[in-house]
Parts: sequence; C-alpha cells; structure tokens
Amino acid sequence: MNLIWKLLRQHISLGQFVGFFFANLFGMMIVLLGVQFYRDIYPMFGGKESFIKNDFIVLTKRVSSIGSFAGATTTFSAKEQREVAKQGFAYKVGAFTPSCYNVNTTLGMGGKDDGFHFSTEMFFESVPDDFVEIEAAKWKFVPGSHDIPIILPKNYINLYNFGFAQSRSLPKISEGLMNMISLSIHISGQGKEGVYTGRIVGFSSRLNTILVPQTFQDWANREYGEKEPACSRLIVEVENTADDRIATFVQKKGYETEDDKLEAGRMTYFLKLVTAIVLLVGFIISILSFYILMLSIYLLLQKNTTKLENLLLLGYSPSRVAKPYQILTLGLNAFVLVFALCLVFAARDCYMGLVTQLFPQMDKGSAIPVILLGILIFIGISILNCVAIRRKVNSIWIHRS
Amino acid sequence: MKKIVLDNVLPHVFQDGRPIHSDVWNSQVSLEKGKLYLVEAASGTGKSSMLSYIYGYRIDYSGTIHFDDRELKTYTVENWVQLRQRGISILFQELRLFPELTAWENIIIQNQLTNHKTDDEIHAYFEALGIDDKETQLCGKLSFGQQQRVAMIRSLCQPFDFVFLDEPISHLDEVNSGIMGRLVVEEAKRQGAAIIVTSIGKHIDLPYDHIFKL
Repeated sequence: MNLIWKLLRQHISLGQFVGFFFANLFGMMIVLLGVQFYRDIYPMFGGKESFIKNDFIVLTKRVSSIGSFAGATTTFSAKEQREVAKQGFAYKVGAFTPSCYNVNTTLGMGGKDDGFHFSTEMFFESVPDDFVEIEAAKWKFVPGSHDIPIILPKNYINLYNFGFAQSRSLPKISEGLMNMISLSIHISGQGKEGVYTGRIVGFSSRLNTILVPQTFQDWANREYGEKEPACSRLIVEVENTADDRIATFVQKKGYETEDDKLEAGRMTYFLKLVTAIVLLVGFIISILSFYILMLSIYLLLQKNTTKLENLLLLGYSPSRVAKPYQILTLGLNAFVLVFALCLVFAARDCYMGLVTQLFPQMDKGSAIPVILLGILIFIGISILNCVAIRRKVNSIWIHRS
Repeated sequence: MKKIVLDNVLPHVFQDGRPIHSDVWNSQVSLEKGKLYLVEAASGTGKSSMLSYIYGYRIDYSGTIHFDDRELKTYTVENWVQLRQRGISILFQELRLFPELTAWENIIIQNQLTNHKTDDEIHAYFEALGIDDKETQLCGKLSFGQQQRVAMIRSLCQPFDFVFLDEPISHLDEVNSGIMGRLVVEEAKRQGAAIIVTSIGKHIDLPYDHIFKL
C-alpha cells in the first residue's frame, strides 16, 4: 500500500485541499451550529409543555357590555363548533366543558389547627383527553374513586410565591414541591355533596384554567350538575399558530384568541424560519465544498491517469487503486467533522453563558442530536466521495478498452 | 490456462479492403502453453495491437480471441485482474515503468501482488543483468537499455502461463540479450509457460517452436 500511496500522492495540491477543508468546515459548522442553537433557544419561547399538545389556540366569543345587557350568548353552539372544525387551519376541535356544580377547594400545610389553610370557591374545566398529552395512567378518573388529577395554571404558583408568600413571609414553593401537595376538594350540587382529593399533575402556562379529566367532568356534571354544561371556549389544534387564516377567521366571526399564544407561535415560527435559512446556507456551502473536493480529486486522478492505467495493467484492481484516494477524503472529512464539532461547542459555550443568565431555569438542550447529525453528514458525504472516486477509476479502466 | 486462440482477428484500422498477407490477421492462430513463439513484423503491421488485444486493454478488432474456451470479451474486470496477476505477464514495448519510483520499487510494486519472488531472487536478477548498482536509483534517471532490463525483471516477478515480450532487446547488446533470453526461458520452464516474443528485426536467439510473420 505504501508504494501505491507514494505513487498516487503525486500532484496532490495542498492549496486545493486547504480550500476544501475550510469550505467544508464552515458549511458543516453553520449547519451544526444552526441546529444546536435552535435546540438550545427553542425552549425559551415557553411554548413547549410536555403535557399539552403544542400547536393549539383557544377561541372565545367576545364579551361586550352591550352584549351582556342584550343577553347575547357567549357559548358555542354545535353548529358553530362544526364550522370551526371545517376551517383549513384546524386539525381538531375540542370543547371546554365547564363544571355545573359548586367546587370549594382547601389547600393546606401543616396540621388542622396550627398550620395555614386557604380555601376558595373555584371551578373546573375539561378538554377532550386527546388534547392532553400525559400518561393515560396519571390522567384518568374512575367513578367512585376520590382521586382527581388536576392541571393548574402556572400563574397560581406565581401568585402564591410572589404575592401571598412574599407578604406573609412564607416559604416559596417550587413546581416539584407543589406536586406533592394535595388539595381537598368539596363538591356539591343537586343536594348531594362529596369530598375528593386533588392531585396536581402539572402546571400550564398556556391554558388559563383548572383542568380535570373529561371522564371526571362528565361524571361530576351528571352527578352534581344543576344544568346542562354549555361550551364557551374551544380548543383548536392547528398546524401553525401563526397561520394568517386564523387571524382572518377570528376577526370575521368576532371571536377572540388568547393573544400571547399567537405571539409565541409567531416567534417560534420566525425562529424556525431563520434557522431554516441558516441551515440552507450551511447546506449550500457544504454542497459547494463537496464540489470543490470532487473537482480536486478528479483533477488529481486526471493528472495521475497514466499511473493508474499502468497499475491496472500490472494487475491491480480498480478498488485497490481507488482506496488511497478514498482514505484521503475520508480522513479529510473526519478531520473536518471533529474540528467543526469543537468549534460548535466553543461557540455554544459563548452564547449559553448569556442565555443561562437571562433564563436561569431553562434546561440546556442536549448536544447528542447535533453530534449524530454531524456523523450522519460525514457518512453521507463520505459515501458520495467514495462512490465518485470509484466511478472515476472505473472510467479509466473502461476508456482504456 | 492452456491455450490462446485468435480466430479471424483483424484490427479495425486494417479493415479498409487492402489485401492482408499475414500469418496472424484474418487467420487461425493457436498459442499453446510451454512453447516458444516469435512474431516477426515490419513496423506498422499491428504487432503491439495484437498484444494489447490479448492483454485486454484494447478491443478495436473484429474476430474472436479465446483463452481456453472462453471468449475474451466476456471477461469481467475481476477476471482481468486475476488473469493479469496470475495468468499472463507482459514486457511492454514502452515499458510502462514508474519514473518516480526506484528500480527496486518498480519491481516490488509488481511482486507484492503475489509475492512470487523473494528479495534474494530479485537481487540475483539485478546482478545477472548487470544493474545491481541501479537498484536504488529512480527509474526516470536510468537509460532506456537499463529500464528495459528493469521491466524485464518485473515481467518475471509474477506467476504466468504466457509471457509476452514486446521488442525486449531493442536497446540491448548481444551479451545482455543472451542473459535475458536465458532468464526468461528458465522462468518459463519452471512455470511450464509459453513465451511469445515480438521483433522488428533484432530478436533474442531462442529455439522457437513457431515463427509467425505478421
């Protein structure tokens, strides 16, 4: 092999390979950094909640003072629900089911007499279970059981931590701790009463309501409900919250959406767009660098054609003759991959310092997908390189004949 | 491989209707293992073409060439690689040495394919042909006569059933031609192979079994 290499490395142009190296390095780095940056920054938009489907909007009817006096209804009829479902932007529509019974909740810490307790009237709402992405075992209610899973708005913790606890010099509590607290729930209606235990399974910053499983709500409305539940809010799963058809439809029908959600959706949309542009630029540079490499390898093969021809005539197989060049490109590609990953992580350290200062509670995205992506690109480019070289050597064999 | 048969072979360039007077073109020629052949030719009669057809690097001819019972044009790349490593050997008229490698490396690059000869045997060849002091010199720096001897050694450093020598002594003196003839015959005998020599006048003096006029 050494002799073959000694022969075939003739005419290798250092300049061309340096050119390829940098072009490929920048291409690879831009692609990987783009993906890593997206993964790191995306959770910041707060849109992501593991237990609620992500791309949804909540529709309500506008409440106006004149409407209230005139007795205009703020509930959605079945017909109106069907109309929303028919829109192009909607995947799936679900109705919020309100509670038609009285709920009184007591939250307590410490003993019955000496601890602190606060008690409040409240309400429950439910959405169809397939909008809630939580383990089925955690999000279910069996009639007869006294255990109710609940999702609370995140605001509640903030209200407690920054309002109540602050003024009373009480300890602040985290989400994790909150999950361990159980609520005592008193339900009444139709002359019946029941005491249940509420178990908090999650907090939502996007759904401003107290969610219980649909099964519980249906059961409780039958059991305690004093009237038929009417739906006044719709949850709509959409492809893209920034879709302008939504805005047009909402305006036309005089509905309202919770704006910040659309805002966050729009922000992620732009983030995605910018990332896509960056990735595209990276890929184009990568393709160009691949082209440079192929050109210089072809040139090299061309300059060494006589040598390759003679080797083939001596009884060397095309694959054996192609191997030195394949190893050369493989080595170059591997070097580029390692170098690009190092640069990406160096850059990541720089911006993550700033990001964690701004959003201390944010989870750091994992770097493994980017490493895998890098390896994938490396394998893809290397296979293409090797095949191209092999074809070129084969063409020398065929031309000869 | 026991036999090479050329049947009605004619290079495309000769297909212009001119009358052909040749023992090879447009006739039946059979080359058998273990024998010695001389192909005599005036220049331009297609001597090197004939070898390039048999060695499989040109196919611009009509008619058929068979190795034993197999038509040559049916050989795959892999078949050719095997054949060139172990079936046929050639000393090209234009030598096809690598000028950027030393004389020694030029031999090794062939020998390492099959490890047919030991280093000592190769040294002995260099010595016999009087170029043992040139082993470490770049081939490009050697005279054509010296290069011819290097190419000669290379053609012997592999197993073969047929060895083709295309004008092997065009730049050699009587003494060296004699030594070369002896070495080739020795190696061919050892392997039971056939020798096919081409010449445009001056040729190695060997007890040929058959002489073709091209």
